[in-house]
Amino acid sequence: MGGPPPRGVGADRLNGGGAGKLSPVNTVEVLLILVGIPLAVIVVLALLTLPGGRKRTRYKPGQPWDHAPVWYEPHPEGGGGGHGPGPGSGAAAVGGGSTNALGSSMYPEQPEERNTDSASGGTSHGDSSHGAPAHGASAARPVNAGPLGGARGTW
Amino acid sequence: MTSSLEVESHDTATKDTAAARTDEGAPDELFTFQELARLDEALTMSSRETGLRFTLYIGDLGPRTRVQAEDLHARSGSHPTDAVLIAISPGQKVVEVVTGAGASRRLPDRACALAVLSMTTSFANGDLIGGIINGLRQLSDQAGHPATHRH
Repeated sequence: MGGPPPRGVGADRLNGGGAGKLSPVNTVEVLLILVGIPLAVIVVLALLTLPGGRKRTRYKPGQPWDHAPVWYEPHPEGGGGGHGPGPGSGAAAVGGGSTNALGSSMYPEQPEERNTDSASGGTSHGDSSHGAPAHGASAARPVNAGPLGGARGTW
Repeated sequence: MTSSLEVESHDTATKDTAAARTDEGAPDELFTFQELARLDEALTMSSRETGLRFTLYIGDLGPRTRVQAEDLHARSGSHPTDAVLIAISPGQKVVEVVTGAGASRRLPDRACALAVLSMTTSFANGDLIGGIINGLRQLSDQAGHPATHRH
């Protein structure tokens, strides 16, 4: 009772009051903590995720088609597992050399590749092929395949 | 004097040679890499499993779609008899499946029509790649393995 009051330690010192008494928190601090921090988290997550989305809208069948024609063909058989040409297969060994459907770009370019349509602008790289056979009729001779079958569908 | 370390394009293509890679513009990114990978796998695996040669054409087919598709099929390789062409003209909303004489023995027109129906259903739902892959799967399932057809 006499003497100086004991120096506060820990929370007591921060609160500036007696033990068990918390300092009043004003409204601005409450808003900052309860609203500001969640908002900050949301904004950070949004910034991290939103710009990485799809840049272009996905093509839906039926929309106007303004792309160059593409013609995909399967990988040639015995392509060494699909990663690069096998040991014995150079450009001449790539199958389907007489077509103007282009081989995979994982394989060497075929001699006919550039004859098809150099102005098509390229459609894809990676494991695809592209070409414009409608305009490159000189590259491959039509071969008669006998009576043709098939089906047709619209949507 | 040309340095051997130059990386800039100098338009070195002649009429007999290809353009340098640096001369090519940005590719027309029609499909994503994931879609292209799925497409590539579906085409390659159906061709290897069946022994037929599946090719896929996506583009305009002109006013006479069937004639154009059959013309494309005739030029789709050295052995179009065993080739199957799936020609899709998304702008015209038309799918044409063309089978050569040998391929049509294993892929009758009814099977092709069923695959086309499955494809058009997916296309109508806006799923181009998924429809193509489902159609390829149906066609290759129907065609079966070549070894079982030899005897």
